[in-house]
Amino acid sequence: MALEYLPIMAQSGAPKPPRILVSPSKPSWCSVIKPVQQSRVALLTSAALRLAVQQPFTPKEDLTYRLVPSDPNAGEIVIDHHSGIGRVPKQDPEIVFPRTALAALARKGTIGEVSPFHVSFMGGLRRHTEIENDLAPAIAAELQRAQVDLALLVPY
Amino acid sequence: MIGTALDIMRKVTPPRAVFIDHPVGRPFGRPHDRARNEAVLTRALAELPNFTSSGEIRDPHFQWQPDGGRVWEKELREEMLSARGE
Repeated sequence: MALEYLPIMAQSGAPKPPRILVSPSKPSWCSVIKPVQQSRVALLTSAALRLAVQQPFTPKEDLTYRLVPSDPNAGEIVIDHHSGIGRVPKQDPEIVFPRTALAALARKGTIGEVSPFHVSFMGGLRRHTEIENDLAPAIAAELQRAQVDLALLVPY
Repeated sequence: MIGTALDIMRKVTPPRAVFIDHPVGRPFGRPHDRARNEAVLTRALAELPNFTSSGEIRDPHFQWQPDGGRVWEKELREEMLSARGE
C-alpha cells in the first residue's frame, strides 16, 4: 500500500491550514500525435531549479519559470524549492530532473529528440487561478514554440 | 506526469500519470544511480500508448528496497517532520 503523504504534509505544515489540491477547471486530455520514438520531449519540474547563473526563485509564491538548457553539461543545477525533502535531491538533481537519462534515451532512439530546453517552476504554490490562467499558458506557449510533442511533468 | 505521491495524484486528475513507489523527492532513484534514472524514465515513457482517459494512473511496480520492504516510509516521515519550519 502506497504511503499517504497528505497527513504528513498537514502535520509538517501546521499551524498553516492543510494544502488545498485543485484539479484543472478545463479538460487536460489531448491526443498523443506521434509515437514516443518520434517525439521531441521536454521535462517540466516543480522543483524551482535552475542553472546557477540564472535568476533565483525567491518568494514562496514565485509565479515565474526558467527555461533550463537540456544539455546535461550546460552548467550546475541549483534547487530553490523550500520543501523539507530537499536535502537528498540537492545532492543530485538528476533524481528529480533526469536530463542525463533523457539525453541517453534520445541517443538510443527511445525518444525522437530532446527539447532544446526544459521548464522549471515553483511547486506548492497556493495561487491556483494564476497558475491556470497565467503560468501554465505561458509555459505551454514556450513548449509550442519549441515544437515539443511530449511534456513530462515531474512534481517535486 | 511521473509522481511518487499516489494520494495526491488521485486527487488532481492528471491526464496521464505514472506512479513510482519511491520516496517523495527521489522519483528517479538514489543519488548518482544513472541506471535507475534511465530505467524509471524508460518504463514511464513505455506506458504512454496505454492511457485511454484523464485521471488514469499506471504503476510499473518499482520498489525502493529490493526486498520490497517499506522501512523507508518511517525514515521519510521523520525526515519530512524534522524539516518543519525550514
